[in-house]
Amino acid sequence: MTSKDLVLESAADRTIRFERDALAFTDQLYAAALRYTKNPEDARDLVQDTYLKAFTSFHQFEEGTNLRAWLYRVLTTTFINSYRKGQRQPQIAQNELEDWQVAQAQSHTSDLGKSAEVEALENLPDSDIKRALQEIPEDFRMVVYLADVEGFSYKEIAEIVGVPAGTVMSRLSRGRKQLREKLAGYAKELGYNTDAKKKSGEVK
Amino acid sequence: MSYIEIQCGDVLASVIFIIEGEFDQLPQRSAIENHISTCLPCTAEIEHERAMHDLLQETLRRSCNERAPEDLHQAIHRQLRAQMAAGTEVVTQFSMTEISIEIDEFGNIEHREIQIEQTHIQHFIDEDPDATR
Repeated sequence: MTSKDLVLESAADRTIRFERDALAFTDQLYAAALRYTKNPEDARDLVQDTYLKAFTSFHQFEEGTNLRAWLYRVLTTTFINSYRKGQRQPQIAQNELEDWQVAQAQSHTSDLGKSAEVEALENLPDSDIKRALQEIPEDFRMVVYLADVEGFSYKEIAEIVGVPAGTVMSRLSRGRKQLREKLAGYAKELGYNTDAKKKSGEVK
Repeated sequence: MSYIEIQCGDVLASVIFIIEGEFDQLPQRSAIENHISTCLPCTAEIEHERAMHDLLQETLRRSCNERAPEDLHQAIHRQLRAQMAAGTEVVTQFSMTEISIEIDEFGNIEHREIQIEQTHIQHFIDEDPDATR
């Protein structure tokens, strides 16, 4: 009975189907791999390894489900298992779940602080945005990237990264906050600034 | 009836759920919604957070849009073709499950036989020397 369902797809047919459906994401996966690994050589290798793994386990992929999310899952697990071992990265402490709410703003921001932040985001060059992303801890960077660049829902991210949804929310919240702080810091260095402006604003 | 007083800090701590539209995940959802509906600073803060979030997303998407180098596309294609040529799928065994039970006139089981066999599909995959960087 079950044997009847086992319609064997020829290797050639499967390769064609894989190339048609999966290779459309090469650019996206490469951009993500650059954020994960932080350098073009490793990003290349990671994307190649990802496609090889995805191809050899393509029979496990359920057609009709989200191929893009599946590929990101392969990319992310490959990165976590093979690439980040070599890199020294401070990992996030165990107590992240308990104290994550502390990371949130607990009081209202001033209007001046708000406009300075908007100005910073609008004016910073792409290179600074990427630098800020590279400087936040890896576990935060992955979820922020998956959510804010790729537009995955936090439930999809939980699947992709292999952590509970609550942890995704926590990392997302802290990661975005750290990112915004970094960007505000760069903006300050560049002179789009909060304090200077605030003062001159008050004086004049 | 207990009335939970919600402080601005509680609302701000939950702002990510509001931004993400995950109201169901909100602890003390109705109390928080009540607070927001009457607190102008919180309403303004949420609006700001939402605007900043949109702006951050837009900025990130604008910056992180690298395209894979052309030779990477080609390398992947070659790698897959090599893998395809190296990997062959062969059905090595194929069989069915058979159950037979013989019962005599008194309802006693005289003989039973269960045969379970399986279909084995083997993937023969040779190591592709080019695949490992």
